[in-house]
Amino acid sequence: MRRLGPLVFEPRLVPSRLAVLGVSLAAVLFALLLASAVFYGYGRNPWQAYAQIGRGLFGTWPSFSEVLRRAIPLILCGVGLTLAFRARFWNIGAEGQLLAGAVAATGVALFLPVPEGWRLPLMFLLGFLAGGVWAVIPALLRVKLAVNDVISTLMLNYVMAYIVEWLVHGPWKGPTMRGFAYTDAFPLSARLSYLPGTRVHWLTLVLGIAAALVVTGLLARTRLGYEVRVVGQSPEAARYAGINFTAVFALVMLLSGGLAGLAGVGEVAGIHWRLRSPGHISMGYGYTAIIVAWLARGSPLTAVLTALLFGLIFAAGDYMKTALGLPFQITGVFNGLVLFCLISFDLLMFWRVRLARKEEAWTGSTGSSAR
Amino acid sequence: MKRIWAVVLAVVALGAVALGATRIKAGFIYVGPIGDYGWTHAHDVGRRIVDEKYDWLETVYVESVPEGEVETYIDLLIRQGCNVIFTTSFGFMDGTLAAAQRYPNVIFAHCSGFKRWANMATYMADFYQVYYLNGLMAGALTKTGKIGYVAAFPIPEVKRHISAFAIGAREVNPRAEVHVRWIYEWYNPAAAKEATEALIAEGCDVFAFTEDSPTVVQVAAEKGLPSFGHYSPMYDFAPDHVVSGQLVHWEKIYEDFLVKVHKGIYTTKNLAHVDYWWLLAQGAVEVGAKPGMVINPKYEAFLKNYVINHPVFGRISVYDLVFIRLNQMADPGITFDPFQGPIYDRKGRLVVPAGMWMSYDALITMEWAAAGIVGPWPGEP
Repeated sequence: MRRLGPLVFEPRLVPSRLAVLGVSLAAVLFALLLASAVFYGYGRNPWQAYAQIGRGLFGTWPSFSEVLRRAIPLILCGVGLTLAFRARFWNIGAEGQLLAGAVAATGVALFLPVPEGWRLPLMFLLGFLAGGVWAVIPALLRVKLAVNDVISTLMLNYVMAYIVEWLVHGPWKGPTMRGFAYTDAFPLSARLSYLPGTRVHWLTLVLGIAAALVVTGLLARTRLGYEVRVVGQSPEAARYAGINFTAVFALVMLLSGGLAGLAGVGEVAGIHWRLRSPGHISMGYGYTAIIVAWLARGSPLTAVLTALLFGLIFAAGDYMKTALGLPFQITGVFNGLVLFCLISFDLLMFWRVRLARKEEAWTGSTGSSAR
Repeated sequence: MKRIWAVVLAVVALGAVALGATRIKAGFIYVGPIGDYGWTHAHDVGRRIVDEKYDWLETVYVESVPEGEVETYIDLLIRQGCNVIFTTSFGFMDGTLAAAQRYPNVIFAHCSGFKRWANMATYMADFYQVYYLNGLMAGALTKTGKIGYVAAFPIPEVKRHISAFAIGAREVNPRAEVHVRWIYEWYNPAAAKEATEALIAEGCDVFAFTEDSPTVVQVAAEKGLPSFGHYSPMYDFAPDHVVSGQLVHWEKIYEDFLVKVHKGIYTTKNLAHVDYWWLLAQGAVEVGAKPGMVINPKYEAFLKNYVINHPVFGRISVYDLVFIRLNQMADPGITFDPFQGPIYDRKGRLVVPAGMWMSYDALITMEWAAAGIVGPWPGEP
């Protein structure tokens, strides 16, 4: 128990599911409250604005489908990241792994002579492998050479972005694009179909939800899942138990990066139908997925929900830019506020706060009174 | 009584006019932020000018739209009641075409692309003539014979501009070199700064560029070196050092297009062959350090005293040459083009035969580098 002014903080050893949900919701609501200031600043009534956004997003199926579409890459990357984070492997590289998947898919779509029916399955398979292999590199670097995983995964994002840039400016520049830096468009057999009336490439969405289920099962019921949890919670115990770190990290990152790679396949085969500048292939999905996974607290199924929340924020941002005429930075401001509030509200998840009773001494805590 | 009737008639007449006139709500989709001081900023200036001029016109815009998201934004703008949509990036081309096919009752215009439809036109204001004029001045101004060029992407548009610039520089100074650095960004002040400094270290003493910020102008001015502004009026950033530059007037195209839509000349049925390729003659682009200032007065005397032996005009000052060439290209009966044959590329191949001009298709797909250009040239034939 710690005391700060008139408040007392009591630790919750294991926060209940209800506490987690309640605190997270409160944080999001508080972020929306803070964001109202932005609306005021632009001379708009925030409540009307929120009502308008709500009607705009949930009014019709095509407009709501945009939330789903934006969530697809976040689900795949987010689920992969929860797995890596469970093993305490800080994979900041989903962005690059996504691009690796996009590159592999483009290679299959445009250059590999395969029967038409095989094209999409091969794109997903090789996209998964490309993202996975790109992610295994930092895993091996960490196990063999003790290279910091945050730095190596982050840096490989830039490497992959430049590879994409080089491909579209160099060997893969499309002959039909009149010198502009794009590959040619994919043939029809390499394009994903949409849910009617939307741009939701449903196959990738299904893969994302399936991935969440598979990773949940893997963590709960398999030997690898057990080893991942041990490695993550107590590396010492894992070493003592003789768990092979190289194999665990390599497998975890193969899966984590592979799922991000699938997201990349979905973006190029579902949305772009070509490879183009990396900043336009992914709107920072790989980075947003870090928040998605962090918020989900290591649970792949929760990551589907948090991905939908950020899909909602992205879609709402699109709507605010057009219908409310707010500047383009608005999506970033919303993302930032939500994340900031969620991190700040973490305090409430692990500490119960109440007013101090009179008889409670000022220094009830074992340490200093200030946290 | 007569008065009352007059009033009634006037009201009825006004009402009829109001009903008869089509109101236009035009949506603009930009690839960059309107504060970039380059491409998107210039489009937005054009939009505002036209918006203020006509009361039958309402405009809205969205900035920083990722290329793959253009259809989403078109949907949102049309749901808001837009009946004309402008998309201002090459990468929006296929998305705009798909939307044009989905919304046959909406008019679309796509900037810098080549795909059209019954309800989708294309438009572009190009700078190559202006770069040529800037090149004439740069050729005279360089003392080291090395001119620096900070370039965005190695695509035909930028290559065409650098080549026109080099052709201008060599017309005045046959030994001039144009040293090129690619930064692979449309907007990246940090990279532009590094590239400029590297070019200064290489000995370049005059600068031109393709990047959407005044960075090159500022970095060059710190070293006291002259430069040419790009896209927006950059005179104010370094009044002693901006010699001239490239200015754009998108409003000329937007006005022409929207007025024709309003008058019913352009409809959703007849745009398949409407392609604006507007240059100096149409007033869509301008040469100058700022509007109305073709050459910074600080450099007038120097350019007037810099006399060369010109193969066509004999002994002539560069100052006069600039205005002669400007008039030849700005006159509706254009009598000169920078890419007028014979032109050899830097590998010595004849790319435009004597007496020929380049076709529009050749211009927008050109990959070769003009003689005098130094540095890497990705995709060089």
